[in-house]
Amino acid sequence: MTTFLGDEEIRRLAAEHGTPLLVLDCETVRRQVRLLRAALPKVDFYYAVKALPHPAVLRTMQQQGVGFDLASSGEIEQVRRFYVNPRNTIHTHPIKKRNDIRDSLRFGCTTFVVDNRDELSKFVEFRHRVGLLLRVSFPNPDATVDLSRKFGCAPAETLDLLRVARQLGLHVKGLSFHVGSQSRTASMHAHAVHECARIIREYNRDGDTPLSTLDIGGGFPVDYCGTMPDIDAFCAPIREALTSLGGDIHVIAEPGRYLVAPAAISITSVMGKARRCDRPWYYLDDGVYGAYSGRIFDHANYPIRSLRPGPAVSSVLAGPTCDSIDIVHDDIALPALEIGDLVIGEMMGAYTISTSTEFNSLERCRVVVLHEDLTSDSVAHIA
Amino acid sequence: MTRVWSETLYDAYGQHFNTDKILFESKTEHQHLLIFQNARFGRVMALDGVVQTTERDEFIYHEMLAHVPILAHGNARRVLIVGGGDGGMLREVCRHRSVESVTQVEIDQAVIDMALRYLPQHSAGAYDDPRAHIVIGDGIDFVRQTDLRFDVIISDSTDPVGPGEVLFSDSFYANAKRCLNPGGVLVTQNGVAFMQLDEARETAAKLSRLFQDWHFYSAAVPTYVGGVMAFAWASDNPELRRQPLTMIEQRFAAAAIKTRYYNPAIHQAAFALPQYLLDALAEETGK
Repeated sequence: MTTFLGDEEIRRLAAEHGTPLLVLDCETVRRQVRLLRAALPKVDFYYAVKALPHPAVLRTMQQQGVGFDLASSGEIEQVRRFYVNPRNTIHTHPIKKRNDIRDSLRFGCTTFVVDNRDELSKFVEFRHRVGLLLRVSFPNPDATVDLSRKFGCAPAETLDLLRVARQLGLHVKGLSFHVGSQSRTASMHAHAVHECARIIREYNRDGDTPLSTLDIGGGFPVDYCGTMPDIDAFCAPIREALTSLGGDIHVIAEPGRYLVAPAAISITSVMGKARRCDRPWYYLDDGVYGAYSGRIFDHANYPIRSLRPGPAVSSVLAGPTCDSIDIVHDDIALPALEIGDLVIGEMMGAYTISTSTEFNSLERCRVVVLHEDLTSDSVAHIA
Repeated sequence: MTRVWSETLYDAYGQHFNTDKILFESKTEHQHLLIFQNARFGRVMALDGVVQTTERDEFIYHEMLAHVPILAHGNARRVLIVGGGDGGMLREVCRHRSVESVTQVEIDQAVIDMALRYLPQHSAGAYDDPRAHIVIGDGIDFVRQTDLRFDVIISDSTDPVGPGEVLFSDSFYANAKRCLNPGGVLVTQNGVAFMQLDEARETAAKLSRLFQDWHFYSAAVPTYVGGVMAFAWASDNPELRRQPLTMIEQRFAAAAIKTRYYNPAIHQAAFALPQYLLDALAEETGK
């Protein structure tokens, strides 16, 4: 059962728009924003646009007063169309070309993340215009997606880098970290907050330009397979850890997955079937090169079901391309399906169509948007 | 509720404008352009999040960047304006009857079109002046390619983070020099020195390698926030910026121009620079 859509409605949308289809529900986005705000009441959110840069999502975030975490010039162009106040954006890619910095400044985003000396030196020529966040690495073996291997400086070198920045005349206004995605507990978040609080206290003791911001990243988990705690329970250790920061530290976060994952479902059709090694194979009209790309890139295990009742047996779901890697699920309990049956992927808002391709010259799935608020004034800022 | 527009020139500091009405907004091929109405400054034009000009205080900038070099030169017949799409600089240059020809090279036709429509008092008819020749193109290409020569070149550019970047390059300054008649002068907008000291330093380093005489002069423009705006000055005639006050007064009287900021005493005093700027320039150039 899809939380925002009944089975009859799913059939109706599939009949009306055809498949493959992604159904995006803005009311679910609004609910996720409310839930995360309740779980982290003193934290300002910057939506990680990369998770799902769909216009309806960006507009909804804007209406909800959520800022934007941008990581490329293309993402800047995406949000610019919605009159986003550049002051409510941060550029979080730790490694940038000179033109990425210029594009961001011309848009009006002046906050950047860095994590090493070479990156600091790129900002010297822009030093009077920018405020920097230094990204600290906290490796997290518990995370499905560990983001501390590719980016971030070691906690032990943080104070040195802060001093280098100061010598270069750069304003580092805070620290950031990203402990990775889909952890079962927030113990690593809490550990990172405590460590950053310690570094901030130490640096601020003798600094006339104190650190004033802590960016606690993202990684707030969603429940793909029924094993995750709810968000309020998950965030309890983070709330507790944040009390170790001084009250004048501005805390921000970059949620992506949590805000959009439950807000979309994929509707595909069985377009062929076979029996191989004594198991039924069903060929869908979308696969890992399309909306199910997160099966590969995001290591996500979406809840998948059919609308047909009946006894379930171990089956294989394959995608429509010619590539043998294009397997959506290689062992899923399904009733015997017929060609034309609908297969529903749940929780498919985050890192799904944002990483899909047009391999085999197959068109990307269409997107249908539900419950978008088109009445409120979306021009919250004059860009 | 009143909408607020925030300038995004700096991360840690900035100015806000209440916007009474959005008159125009577009993302052109070259830049993001916004024109709105503000109760205190009249119509305000911003490019890429940075205030370019306002109806109420534009006269300070345009008078100082036009009249200082023209009256210091004393016999400026041919003038080149690079940038200046709002038309204010053209207006001030055209007020000198002694000027025979003004060429303006603007990269973005949309800026001229929108300024004509929404900031008509900036050009005040100057685009119809028969002495005005408008070229749509990149200023750097123009000074590289043109055979024309000028007595005064005025670079009325955007901030270096933007399409104006090349107008702060060695190549632009060298080619501008090439386009100057003997004894001519180049002036450029060079940012607010207190906030953007690096820009003044870098320009000084480049000009000092090319021109016998270089310096800066200044004026306080309210919406270029953070202190006085610096204008770069470069010429192979060191006398131009050391003209006696009486001579400037005579030329100003002969020009019969009514101004609101410029006067001969301001002209002379504008070349006196704050010590922090002099120190930074000396450190950069050994001057």
